[in-house]
Amino acid sequence: MFSRSALRSLASELRWTAPSTISSAAPLQQRACLHQSASLMNAQQPQSQSTSSHPESPLSATPRAQDTQPENVKASTFDENTMTPQTRAHVPIAKQPVAPTFTSPLKVTKSVMSQLPHLVGQKPHYVVAQLHARPYLLTEGDHIRLPFLMPKVKAGDILRFNRASALGSRDFTMKGSPTIDERIYECRVRVTGVDSEPLRIKEKTKRRQRHVKQAKSKHRYTLMRVMDVRVKTPDELLAEGAVVVEDSADSSVIEPRS
Amino acid sequence: MPLRGIRTSTAARNGAGAFILQCKRLDFHYCNWAGSSKGMVAFLEKTLPTFARENPQIEIRVSPRPQKHPLIKGLYINGREKPVCVRNMEPHEILKKANLLKEASGEKLKRVKKPITSLNESVRGIWSPYHGDLRGV
Repeated sequence: MFSRSALRSLASELRWTAPSTISSAAPLQQRACLHQSASLMNAQQPQSQSTSSHPESPLSATPRAQDTQPENVKASTFDENTMTPQTRAHVPIAKQPVAPTFTSPLKVTKSVMSQLPHLVGQKPHYVVAQLHARPYLLTEGDHIRLPFLMPKVKAGDILRFNRASALGSRDFTMKGSPTIDERIYECRVRVTGVDSEPLRIKEKTKRRQRHVKQAKSKHRYTLMRVMDVRVKTPDELLAEGAVVVEDSADSSVIEPRS
Repeated sequence: MPLRGIRTSTAARNGAGAFILQCKRLDFHYCNWAGSSKGMVAFLEKTLPTFARENPQIEIRVSPRPQKHPLIKGLYINGREKPVCVRNMEPHEILKKANLLKEASGEKLKRVKKPITSLNESVRGIWSPYHGDLRGV
């Protein structure tokens, strides 16, 4: 059985070696910085010092954490049982969102690779995101009111839509077959709250009966805001380990406007 | 010279960059004597401290309202308020109502049919019959 500090240092190293770390200069103590691993490292430092006898060893893999201020009083006095987490540092490692793991590297066909700079260079972009098999045409800054209440999300959470059937700009459209690989683009969405519809009353009647039943319904809906719709450049894709392959029938294509 | 209105330079898009919770204040009203406030008094004693600690961005006010049913009132950034009567409710039911007021946008309830509202211009532009190729049918 591992000790907690050993597990935590292991997880932190895994997190730092992961390619999708988003760095930021000033970590905020809010839910907004869920994706900032810098605040995670700040908060871990006092904890690991108190639990392990060699405080330097788990931090050796994280040189950037030592550049920022080491003391973080608020996070170190955090009690898991009484408070809800405000940053990712407060969430236990086991409950943190898991970055998607891919078994094979991203495969991009030659034609897509040659056309991609045209698509990337032409802003703004739109994405047709699929959610429960329904298409949502999204651009940056759009307000979404889902036709259902999304479970297990809170206001302030950031989601990543990873099923897109199309991705495009004014003159170019990338079509998926049936979806585009989620590593080519980034579509982040912030949950802004829950909305409700006005009470609906439907009068139910039966034949030859005076009684009228009133069926009431008042559904709730999740509100969201699109934070960004971004297409990655070919250089970024290659840096993340994309493999260029020959064209085949069932691959995504970029079509210019006719 | 004609009077000119002030032009807005940006449109409010909460959540696109920074995110601010729309609920800014919750007022809890109770009565010490009435039986319908029993659950509310228990809620104020047991659950409210943790709820307030979890939501530091919301101002919380507790005040008695004698001879009346207990009430939670949410005040929002857009200036509207939303009162919810919580008479004869258990503490866990009242917590649900408080969470509902917390996550609400403060807008008037409307029936919306389109899921997406956008301030942006159409990405692909408006179709014109005079431009582009003729396409075979």
